[in-house]
Amino acid sequence: MKTFVSVIIIYTLTLGIACAEPTGRIFVTNEKSNTISVIDSKTHQIETTLEIGKRPRGIGFSPDHSELYVAVSDENVIAVVDPKSLQVLRQFPAGSDPEAFAVHPNGDIYISNEDDAKATVINPKTGEQVSEIKVGLEPEGVAISPDGTRVIVTSESTNMLHVISIPEHNILSNILVGVRPRSVTFSKNGELAYTTAEITGEVFKVDVLKGQIIKKGLFEDKNAKPKDVMLSRDEKTLYIAGGRANKVLVMNTDSMELITGIPVGNRVWGLALSRDGNRLYTTDGLSGTVSVIDTKENKVIDTIKVGELPWGVVIDD
Amino acid sequence: MKKVKKYLVNTCRCTFLISSCIFLTPAVSDEPEIDLAYIGSTSDTAWLGMKQGLDEANLQGQFLGQKYALSAFDPGQIKDADFSHYVAIITAVDHDLFLRISESQPGVPVFNLSLDDDDLRSACLPNALHIIPSKRMKSDAEAQWLQKTPDSHATARAWHPDFEKFAGRDLNKRFLKNQMVKMDDPAWAGWASVKIISDSIAREKITDAGELLQYLKTQLSFDGQKGDNLNFRVTGQLRQPLILVEDDKIVAEAPVRGVANPPTLDSLGMVECAK
Repeated sequence: MKTFVSVIIIYTLTLGIACAEPTGRIFVTNEKSNTISVIDSKTHQIETTLEIGKRPRGIGFSPDHSELYVAVSDENVIAVVDPKSLQVLRQFPAGSDPEAFAVHPNGDIYISNEDDAKATVINPKTGEQVSEIKVGLEPEGVAISPDGTRVIVTSESTNMLHVISIPEHNILSNILVGVRPRSVTFSKNGELAYTTAEITGEVFKVDVLKGQIIKKGLFEDKNAKPKDVMLSRDEKTLYIAGGRANKVLVMNTDSMELITGIPVGNRVWGLALSRDGNRLYTTDGLSGTVSVIDTKENKVIDTIKVGELPWGVVIDD
Repeated sequence: MKKVKKYLVNTCRCTFLISSCIFLTPAVSDEPEIDLAYIGSTSDTAWLGMKQGLDEANLQGQFLGQKYALSAFDPGQIKDADFSHYVAIITAVDHDLFLRISESQPGVPVFNLSLDDDDLRSACLPNALHIIPSKRMKSDAEAQWLQKTPDSHATARAWHPDFEKFAGRDLNKRFLKNQMVKMDDPAWAGWASVKIISDSIAREKITDAGELLQYLKTQLSFDGQKGDNLNFRVTGQLRQPLILVEDDKIVAEAPVRGVANPPTLDSLGMVECAK
């Protein structure tokens, strides 16, 4: 069984190498405008705005970037967009209230269903539900280890990370972290994970294999309600969307101490990093903007007006 | 920690044997139940809120090997009741009975879900935990809003069934779905009381009422789905934002931004004990 599965994984990974030519576009879901803003990453101009359906939130690419997936929360579907032609290709049911998701190297989508205390696994080619995993209340953040053997789901109202094996979908450990864990990300080797706790304003560094907290980072700014978290390409730096602090918080991954805060728009939620690691893009929820940060200088170099309540951002580069 | 590991092993075994994890009872039968007492009517929404909280506590407990149970007592029938094995007593009773319960159960956390009397806060009863906001908190919130909108007739509340921000929407949605009524203030307070207890026990593996009281009064970080980190004042009052409602419509949240200076939760209600 194991051999069979790894054959599949290797096969899909091989397929994945045949990547589509990048469009250089940045895609942003606007939760309240029900649209996607398409931005040219070179000029920072809005190319077009796509109507996508009610309350779009989570957004992500297929492994080869040939398809863009958008969780349309109030319609309980994932819409599939062609990043080149910008046509909506199809949509499929994604359980109740789909929000955040991650895409496995084999192409499957792991999505949190906030209303149902579960994560759903969907094959986006067929739209078929492959599996269902019971987790805690108000699941939100989802991350998949780069080797595809682990998925972590955060449950916001149960204050936990659930570490789950793939493909068995057994819960390996449940790690109590701070209050309202929202977002989670893996290190490249899959041994570490970082998660934000919104209500207590904390970031946790977690040993995934042991299922234990290694270290906690705290923000002095009482307004910091951290949401998205992202590692720099060299994994020495963490970028955290500070929510009400209206800043991107930059943290050292060893000491888990704050290096600096980069002022951006109001209620910053989403983050995306360019492939070369030199540009960080943020969604500033209440300002309705995307801030472009130069990560060498830790400075905002441009601000792009998008729709109302921008939520998620990804870049096809 | 040992207990948790054991539970996980059992869960896996259970998964292989009967290909389902629903029947966890045999595997976790060695886990003692954590018992909570409720004194009050079971026909009001506070009880429904507690039931919702209990379901959520047990959902979390599934992952940690913890199981919670609630026992309800009629306020008129508690004269000879023995509360010694409960880690907390949650009440929706009248003023005098609340004082009597608090006094007769020293060291046991006694939650107040229904009384907004200021004197119960200023008295700083050592084991009283007031989940519902005090009169003074509500009037301060209303006064803040009046400063901003002088013609308003808004009233302050702990909760509203249309509240959507900070995952309020999720809580309202699941409460309505499971309990088939809208979540009002006593229901929110009932839900919050059970969740405050279970969140604390999950973290600290507390089994003793005295330890629990100490933890709640000094170290609590609670997400009441109102966007702030909630904890208790020395008065035993839960610090919390309030919702301002006019004609049954939400008009604002307090502390009111731009009025309360600084806009901290302590701008609502009294903070210290009466001398």
